[in-house]
Formats: sequence, C-alpha cells, structure tokens
Amino acid sequence: LAGVNCLAYDEAIIAQQDRITNSNPLVSERQELSVLMREYSEDKVYQLKIKDLYKKYMHIRKTRPDGNCFYRAFGFAHLESLLEDSKELQKFKAVAAKSKQDLVDGGFTEFTIEDFHNTFMDLIEVCEKQQSLQDLWNSFNDQNVSDYVVVYLRLLTSGYLQRKHGFFQHFIEGVRSVKEFCQQEVEPMSRESDHIHIIALAEALDVAILVEYMDRGEGGTVNHHIFPEGGDPRIFLLYRPGHYDILYK
Amino acid sequence: MERKYNLKSPAVKRLMKEAAELRESTEHYHAQPLEDNLFEWHFSVRGPPDSDFDGGVYHGRIVLPPEYPMKPPSIILLTPNGRFEVGKKICLSISGHHPETWQPSWSIRTALLAIIGFMPTKGEGAIGSLDYTPEERRALAKKSQDFCCEACGCSMRSVLLTVSPNSSRSPEVQKAQELAQQISFKAEANVSRQASEDNPPALAVMDLPEPVAVLPESAAPESEPVTLPPESEPSAAPLGRPLSPRQRRQQQHSRQAQREPSRAAFTGPRQAPDSHTGSAVLIVLLTLALATLIFRRIYLAQDYRLDLDL
Repeated sequence: LAGVNCLAYDEAIIAQQDRITNSNPLVSERQELSVLMREYSEDKVYQLKIKDLYKKYMHIRKTRPDGNCFYRAFGFAHLESLLEDSKELQKFKAVAAKSKQDLVDGGFTEFTIEDFHNTFMDLIEVCEKQQSLQDLWNSFNDQNVSDYVVVYLRLLTSGYLQRKHGFFQHFIEGVRSVKEFCQQEVEPMSRESDHIHIIALAEALDVAILVEYMDRGEGGTVNHHIFPEGGDPRIFLLYRPGHYDILYK
Repeated sequence: MERKYNLKSPAVKRLMKEAAELRESTEHYHAQPLEDNLFEWHFSVRGPPDSDFDGGVYHGRIVLPPEYPMKPPSIILLTPNGRFEVGKKICLSISGHHPETWQPSWSIRTALLAIIGFMPTKGEGAIGSLDYTPEERRALAKKSQDFCCEACGCSMRSVLLTVSPNSSRSPEVQKAQELAQQISFKAEANVSRQASEDNPPALAVMDLPEPVAVLPESAAPESEPVTLPPESEPSAAPLGRPLSPRQRRQQQHSRQAQREPSRAAFTGPRQAPDSHTGSAVLIVLLTLALATLIFRRIYLAQDYRLDLDL
C-alpha cells in the first residue's frame, strides 16, 4: 500500500502549492485593513498594533510571499501613485531611462539587462498613456512582466550599492565585499530584502519609502522608518517579519 | 527560426539576442543554438592555460529551461576531460553556502566562462565531478582536439580562434577565474526534482532537447532519460496546434516513461495526474479483490467451525 500513500502525498503537495499560488496573487486587490484584524483574531499583541495602524491607514494590498515581495510592493505602489501625478511621472521616467546607462557604466552587460529595462520602461509608458490602474494591476500579475520588473529593481539596487560601496561596506555582515553581497543577496531572485536594500533602491530612484514595522515586540504600537531619512514618503509599506505589503491612507 | 518561435516570449527574445552576440568564435569559447532548436545549444571551450587542460578544446550541450533567464541553463559535456563526467547534466546554480546564485542578468557567455574557470578547481567527490590525475587530464586534452560533433558539425581543431601569445592574462580568463570562485556546479539529480516541483512552465514555445548521439564513447545512455524534463507533456499538450513529428516522438517517449515504473516516472508529482488516478483506481480494485478473497476465506473457515459446533 506504499504506492497509495505516495500518491496521496504527491497530491497533497500539489494541492498545497496550488493553494499558495491561488490564494496569493502576485499583487492583490485593495482590501479593507480589517482583513488584518481577522487574520490575527486570536492574537492580542497584533490586535493592539493593528488598532494603532488604523489611526493612519485605511487599506492594504497584499503581495505574494515569494521572497520578492519588497520589490513587487515597491514597484506597484510607486507606479500606482504616479498614475495621478503626471509631473512626478515625467521626473521618474527620466530617472528610469537614465538608469540603464548607469548600470552599463558600472560593469553590467548591456544586452543581458536591456530586456529587463525595456519591460520596466514599457510599464511606465502604460502608466503614462493609459493611466489605468487595471492595466497596471494586470501587468503586475503577469508572472513574466512582474518578474522582469523585479529583476530590474534588483539590478538597480545592486548597481547603487556597488556605486557607493565605500559607504555600504560598513553595513555588510560577514567577510564579503559589496559586490559579493550583491551577487548573493540582491541579484538572485527570491532573496529577501533588508534595510540596506531598501535604502539603496530608495536612493537610486530618488523615491522616499515609509515602512511600518509590525512584530511581536512590546509597546502596542507599530514603529515606522523612512528611507532615506528625512524624506517625504510617497509610498507606505507594512513589514511583518519576512514580508512586505502595501498600505494606503 | 524566427517563424517557429513566439517572439513575445521573454526566453526566445533573449536567446535570439545571445545567439547574435555569440555568433563569432573567440579564442576561448564558441556557442550557437542547434539549427532546429533555440533551447539547445552546442558549445566549445578552450581548456584554461596554465592548467592540465591546456591545449584541450572541449565540446558540450547547453539546455535552456523555458523560464530562461529566470532559471539557469544546464550544461552537459560531451568530450572526456577528466574534470566533469561526460553526458551528465550539471547546473550552475548552487554555491556551497549561498544557494541559488544564478542571476537573470547572466548569460550563456557567463556559463561558458564559468565552465572554463571551473575546470582547474577540485572535484572533491561531488556528483558529476571527476578527479583524474594530471597525466590523464593532459592525455585527454590532447585527444580532445580530434573530436568532431555530428549534431552541430563543429570540429574542435578549427572551431575556436587560434590562441594569442599572452592569452593567460586576457580579461576573459580572469573573469573565468573570478566566476569560478563565486559559483559552483551542481549535478542534476536534485535540480531536476526541484524543477518538477515548480509549476509547469507557462511558455510553450520550446521544442524539447533530445539526446544527441555524438560519438559512441561519449554518449551517456543511462543518464539521458532523466534529463528529459518531465514537464514536457503539460507544456506541449494545451497548445492545441498540430505537433511536429519531433514533438510527437517526444510525447511517446514520455508516455512510455510513465508506463514503466522507472525512476523517471516518479521524479515529480506534477507530470502525470492522469496516470496517477489510473493507477490509484487499479490499486483500489486490486485491494477490493484481495479483501473479497480474504473475507471469503474467513467466511469459509467460520462456516467450517460452525459445522463442527453442530
């Protein structure tokens, strides 16, 4: 009967994978913040903190927990915010257009990064011409497009860290160079992001990011941090250990 | 080739570009896709100077996954070299303490440089690695020049540009050494399992790589059935377009593999839901039949005892 068990096991694995994929779109619809309350209905510590979040935020948009969530959340939230701000969008488009040359100057091979860059620019153009949230959402839920955007944001992060390696070297744990760190922790897909990644990407694209940190620590309030310090944040992310989602006021 | 592939597919777009970039041979490497399959390339690399592989030119296949460049290519050497097992799929992705180091901004050129850089490193008993003696490696290096590949028509004597006097200081050789410190090769066993646990590929443009018989001594019959990606069927079937003879042959291949209780049929849970249900039903039926027989036996035994009681 080992065969039967084995089959049942395989099917359970498949079902589990399908559940993760189906129940977590790459980027979800905008939801009431109360979904969080339901998620933690048994958890006193988190309930207090969610109440604190309510003071500032109304909605949340979740991202799939696949290790790329910071880049996806950042990319979507920023482009979404630009849909209604054509002046900022033009400014961002110029920064993004120039960014490929900076990478090439930093030693990246042009033909291997240009598909990622083009996908990113195409998406900005979609925001500019159609100004449609639905189109943007569809693109971010198309695995090919979405992953290419993630790759490009990872490249920008890596490029910036390497350009400013003298500064960032002090923040890298272990005995490795900034370049090694980038090749191990930034450029490969599914590697999670930490402060250093967020600072680099925020500065590389000149976009301030506010992150609300929600964990099991004491105090009953969420703490936030703005990257880079003193910036005027346009996008708001919620961090729970190991994962980033998008918040809306 | 342009007509055959979906140019909107990111992998096709990228591979076309790489084919153009690598059209010209260099001193150190050459690689081009097979005429009828953009997802299988043949390459030749020069053994690094100042090593036991000096003077050797080695030939092999590169198999690109449909998700390329999001997933790494696999490499199969066809020339005996004393460092990598011939005919075994090696995958450049995992380094000792930092898994998944493949980066989508790398390319086939990166993979070629990694092979060159990796040749002089120690095999240390890893699967797919060989630790031949320097003498054996030097003998193989000499012999490697005689190799001609029937599939791509490359002769190792003429496929690469001739070496310039100070090639050991060329930036490419240095880049190769640098890469070798950063990545390592992994034999395919675990990799293929990992791949089959993922979702079936979304792109259906690929024509699957087939084992290419090159020289009788260099082909590796046992390892080939496993290297056929088991996802082939789900990706080919929903297309709803007529299958090429090659694809049909491929399907037959994989159906055969499913019928036989071979390891190929059990490498991944995804590949054959139909045959799983089929065998599940069969097992249930057999179990029921067995149960019936056992119950009958018990019944008969009891009957007998009852008889005695009376």
